[in-house]
Amino acid sequence: MSNSPLIQTIDLHKTYETGTVATPALRGVVLELREKEFTAVAGPSGSGKSTLLHLLGGLDRPTSGEILLEGRPMSTLSKDALARLRMTSIGFVFQAYNLIPVLTVLENTAFVLELQGVARAERIERARRILSELGIDQYADQFPQRISGGEQQRVAVARAVVSEPSIVLADEPTANLDTVTSLELIDLMRRLNRDKGATFLFATHDGRLLDRVNRLVTLVDGRIASDEVRDSA
Amino acid sequence: MKAAIRHLIRNRRRSLLTLLAVLCPVYILVIMFGFASATMNDMFDTVTRVDTGHLQIRHVETRASGSATPLIQDPAPILAALAGTEGIEWSTVRLDLPALASAGDRSRTVLIQGVVPEEIDPISSMRSRIVEGAYITSDSPGVIVGKEFAALLQLEVGDEFVLLGAHPEIGVVALRVPVVGIVDVPIAELGRSVVQAPLALVRELARSPSAATSVVVRVAGVTGTWDTDTIDAVAQNLRAALPSDYEVLDWRDLVPQVEVYMRLLNPAIAIVAAVFFALGALVVLNTVYLSVMERTKELGLILSLGASRGHVVRMILTEAALLAAVGAAGGAVAGVALILLVEALGGIPLSGDFQLFAKAMGMSPALHLRVAALQTLLAASAMAAVALLAAWYPARRASHLEPVEAMRYVE
Repeated sequence: MSNSPLIQTIDLHKTYETGTVATPALRGVVLELREKEFTAVAGPSGSGKSTLLHLLGGLDRPTSGEILLEGRPMSTLSKDALARLRMTSIGFVFQAYNLIPVLTVLENTAFVLELQGVARAERIERARRILSELGIDQYADQFPQRISGGEQQRVAVARAVVSEPSIVLADEPTANLDTVTSLELIDLMRRLNRDKGATFLFATHDGRLLDRVNRLVTLVDGRIASDEVRDSA
Repeated sequence: MKAAIRHLIRNRRRSLLTLLAVLCPVYILVIMFGFASATMNDMFDTVTRVDTGHLQIRHVETRASGSATPLIQDPAPILAALAGTEGIEWSTVRLDLPALASAGDRSRTVLIQGVVPEEIDPISSMRSRIVEGAYITSDSPGVIVGKEFAALLQLEVGDEFVLLGAHPEIGVVALRVPVVGIVDVPIAELGRSVVQAPLALVRELARSPSAATSVVVRVAGVTGTWDTDTIDAVAQNLRAALPSDYEVLDWRDLVPQVEVYMRLLNPAIAIVAAVFFALGALVVLNTVYLSVMERTKELGLILSLGASRGHVVRMILTEAALLAAVGAAGGAVAGVALILLVEALGGIPLSGDFQLFAKAMGMSPALHLRVAALQTLLAASAMAAVALLAAWYPARRASHLEPVEAMRYVE
């Protein structure tokens, strides 16, 4: 594991304002993530897990504080530059509605590569390879609605890693899955982390998944309550 | 493109509605333009064949001629100029005299057309419009009259009536003439007021063996109103070739009411087109906007993955462009198909007041349609462009969605 932080947050605050009501979601988060880490952000509902992932992924902007991705501040980036950053450096797996319904599994997997302007033949080849590595290549020509929720999340993971981003952010990826499928998905992500060196940060409130991670950050009320490095399986 | 097609198929009903919003205006406009084009051509053809020709050369009006067409004592200089001008298909000398026609106690003001029947035959439809009796010949002393005229003066073939010529340059001359034929001309007003006679007979009335009032000219290569430039060019050459005491009038100068009608028709269609385009645009805007709303989560996902705003705009506009192109092409094809079908069946017969109106306007008694290629292309392209423009607003709105909020969107 490299010693230079891949992502660094400096006194990160995020407050949502609805009319006159201000709801703080993050209150001074200081965090460093390194390459090839497999980190879980745990905490109860409303603790700020999703907000943290959205900020790290450039989907939202902090109220104050800074995020450095590979040493470069994200706060100075324009909307379009943030979009480019998401396309090139960050892979996403969401809780639900991960796949574009009118694209096949193969096309969904290759979608980010298409956005990057990768030639058709190459993106198809890379998408097929990752689907094969994840054992879901038999669904390549299926549309998302024809496969199960667990398989859909596997496809989402395939899409997140196919472009070899700096980090994959997964927001409660197992929230809609049963226990067995959840564990299978986490194991899949862990395998990609070990075999390919992909860096993962995922949010979860499911305690059963936490013995798979090698770092556990716990958020409570928008603050880091604990940050624990583990010898995971 | 593949994704756009799948999106359209996925939302079949909405896609069909958008398609129809583009197709229907184009379809209706193609038919309207087809009607306008056929009508204008019909009127042009009738007026130039029966009455005016494409051009007429006349003597410049003098005080002596008053309100009547001035006399040309000898048309030889005109005929010489015509012989030296390119683009003339045909020409003939005509002597039109105002006269009072009387039969018994009935009378009516008419215009006697003195023509060389054998010369006007190839381009005139008069012979084919004879409904009773026969057409005139150069050596016959008789005249043909319009059906309406015959009815007014209660004349039948073989009857005689008196023509009282009253040209200011000639004075009053009376002549008794027999009716040799009755003609059904397509313009009712003409039918009431025109008497056609051999040129020699009318020259008798004018007391001059070589008098004329005009030389009627048809220009080569003119097939419809769209060839007015050709007519204008020949008119220009003739003006240069003729002595200054002659003027060259075109059919628009001679029957200005027909041109006014033609000029009014296109702006009227343009107003109708604007209304159709606006309605079509509203439907397209509405359906594309609804589509964007329904796909907010999907668009949020796409933006989250790093798609640029331009990518989202292109995505939405590709779908709109597909519908616009298919709708516009479909409307044009359907419109042209209907026109061809109607024409294959000989047009739509008119009846009652419509037939009378058509006759008054110099149109045939059946409703004809003609494929107006340029207008068809314009209507289809304009509607497609309007539809695309209407899709621009929802597309732009989609591209400005905030990814996180969009993904949380609850339908």
